[in-house]
Amino acid sequence: MIGAKSGWNRREFGAGAALLALALGIPAAGVKLTNLDAEDQPSERQRRLIAEVSDLVIPRTDTPGAMDLGVGDFVVLALAHGLSGTRAPMASGAVTAAIEPFRRRDGSIRHLPWLERALDHAAGGDFLRYEPAERARLLAALDEAAFAQGAPPSPWTAVKGLILTGYYTSEAGGSQELRYELVPGKWEWDIPLTPDMRAFSSDWTAVDFG
Amino acid sequence: MKNDTQFDAPRFDAPRFDAIVVGSGITGGWAAKELTEAGLTVLMVERGRNIEHQTGYETELKAPWEMPFRGQGDAALYAREYPVQMLNRHFNEFTESHFVNDAEQPYQKALGKDFDWFRSYQLGGRSLTWGRQCYRWSDYDFGANKRDGFGTDWPIRYADLAPWYDKVEEFVGVSGAAEGLAQLPDGRFLPPMELNCVEQAARERIRAKYPDRVMTIGRTANLTEARPEQGRAHCQYRSICARGCSYGAYFSTQSATLPAAKKTGRLKVVTDAQVHKVDYDAKTGRVTGVRWIDTKTGEHKVAFARVVFLNAGAFNSVHLMLNSASEAMPQGLANSSGVLGTHIMDHANTMAAMAVMPGFEGRTSFGNRPTGIVIPRFRNLETLDGEGFTRGYSFQGGALQGTWTRGKRMGGIGKAYKEELHKIGPWTMVLVVFADSMPRASNRLTLSKRTDPRGVRQLEIAFAHGKEEMAALADAHREATAMLTEAGGHVIMGFDRPGHGGTSIHEMGGARMGWDPKTSVLNRLSQAHDIPNLFVTDGAQMSSSACQNPSLTYMALTARACATAVSMLQEGVI
Repeated sequence: MIGAKSGWNRREFGAGAALLALALGIPAAGVKLTNLDAEDQPSERQRRLIAEVSDLVIPRTDTPGAMDLGVGDFVVLALAHGLSGTRAPMASGAVTAAIEPFRRRDGSIRHLPWLERALDHAAGGDFLRYEPAERARLLAALDEAAFAQGAPPSPWTAVKGLILTGYYTSEAGGSQELRYELVPGKWEWDIPLTPDMRAFSSDWTAVDFG
Repeated sequence: MKNDTQFDAPRFDAPRFDAIVVGSGITGGWAAKELTEAGLTVLMVERGRNIEHQTGYETELKAPWEMPFRGQGDAALYAREYPVQMLNRHFNEFTESHFVNDAEQPYQKALGKDFDWFRSYQLGGRSLTWGRQCYRWSDYDFGANKRDGFGTDWPIRYADLAPWYDKVEEFVGVSGAAEGLAQLPDGRFLPPMELNCVEQAARERIRAKYPDRVMTIGRTANLTEARPEQGRAHCQYRSICARGCSYGAYFSTQSATLPAAKKTGRLKVVTDAQVHKVDYDAKTGRVTGVRWIDTKTGEHKVAFARVVFLNAGAFNSVHLMLNSASEAMPQGLANSSGVLGTHIMDHANTMAAMAVMPGFEGRTSFGNRPTGIVIPRFRNLETLDGEGFTRGYSFQGGALQGTWTRGKRMGGIGKAYKEELHKIGPWTMVLVVFADSMPRASNRLTLSKRTDPRGVRQLEIAFAHGKEEMAALADAHREATAMLTEAGGHVIMGFDRPGHGGTSIHEMGGARMGWDPKTSVLNRLSQAHDIPNLFVTDGAQMSSSACQNPSLTYMALTARACATAVSMLQEGVI
């Protein structure tokens, strides 16, 4: 059932799209979702789904959540352009019956349609019908299966990674939730780590290797 | 070229210089500086575009959210046009314009062999994108070929180069710690950047167990003290060097050698100029100048000089010499020996071990230090103690704390997950190995029959690591694991096989130095045996690879060769 308190109804998707342009400073040229190839254009439902899912991964706390920052649309863009290796072929041994229908001819996976199907399947119907708490429970189960020790490769890990990228490379995610210091100006090699200290989004070595 | 004669430019009004320097990277910048400061007029020819110091670093101050793809770049574009360059760990959306477009700058790989050739065609070349590590070589390195019989004996030893190391370090500005090690001689250092708390502990624990192994801070061309006379500020600890640094805090052509050369008023720079041929006059036995294609207009141009310095980057200098074959020199310029293009090298390189480092939970650091640690070579020094290899390897790496990206490997969603990623992550430590690459005749460069979009024959690279490198990396994997364990770490991964050739971005050789003109291209002065007014002073001249980063040695050899050329010109010898 569609709950009156569902996160979706309280936050119009259009606002998310506007935030994408504003808060993320994406130049008008080149990267509008409307410029994507037809094959990479998400349905409105898929677009809404990834926005909701991203917000379940990183919800609003005392800093904005993923939906506030339009992370869903970043994931759409990133998948269309193959960021984080998402247009690389999946090893055929790893392609299960549940993934097979979403395989492109080049062996890569159509992540969004797969996610839509996987969540609807877990929900026994329309995933988006449920209250946020139930959606979170369903997504957490999918996440747990994907990250379990010895779990077979799941398209979810790449989608989740792109949600993180979309969030922590946004201005609020990078500089409010975490710390962003473009010009530290000094090297303090040994200082106490206190509980209030936030991680750095501008520690480029840590971003690459941490 | 299909037929060089069709590109003959009118020769009589072509510009004349005392010297032409082909290339503007680390060594081209040094050649321009040294030659102009000695009073010569110099033409520097760069195949790539102009990049102005400071104003030309377009992404330097950008945040990820100001970039169309958040600093990750357009992977679809990269797959099409940057399939090799995108493998470089310094390549991203901020730095992509400092690397070549592979589609526009093709090269060939010999059948069944891989080589990832990382290139930066622009004013400043790879001096804008280099790793900045500066290490002296020792007589273990210059004596290596003689000792084990691979390659040809270096005609120089450490004593020949020591004063030139002094000279270039003092100008470059190298921060580092003196350790008194014979295998990694100390230099004229600026104050070192400190090791972080994990590295300090690891240094002590490793030394307690292995007295001959010294973990020290990476010696890096980042200023820890400002150089006001060069207009360079001290390092700001951003560690985004490859975007370009308007503080001038790391050494590059733009920040240091180019301003010095320009100050003399004797330097002319042309960019977008792909040199495809060095002209040779069989009557005088000298080179007379160079020809290039203006890559913007397609025009063919020529200039003359009394002396020519090749500083195009090791493989490109060799490429140019091969492409400069003439009736008098059918095998290529200065190639009477037939060894031009052979014995190319690139350090065998892999991540030998990575460990989680418990016990430092309450400590952290501030700032992004633009260098890591180094553990200098400890194998095959006084005694040959390597199993299946006769040379050395050394480790670079460091300890760091994770940030949000660790969440990509973690299960969890929601508030608790977000709060976990809010925290500074646990300490890990990484040791990356660089091993000597053996000089082998079978690893070589040739001209392909295929041409580039400008009609110049492409370079073909045939390169493979051999059993000595495999043995060295297997040993390095064992020793890295043992050392990190000794340092209190839990090793979680590590490799004992090298990446593709080129991975180290230390490609070198192809126009090796040697005593004998029959078996080498250059003499002990970086001067062609066959042509007295031709000098090759980039990585092409190397006869062995050592396991240290090579740029500092290229710079020292360049400064030395410039002094040689100037005195020979003054004496009328060339």
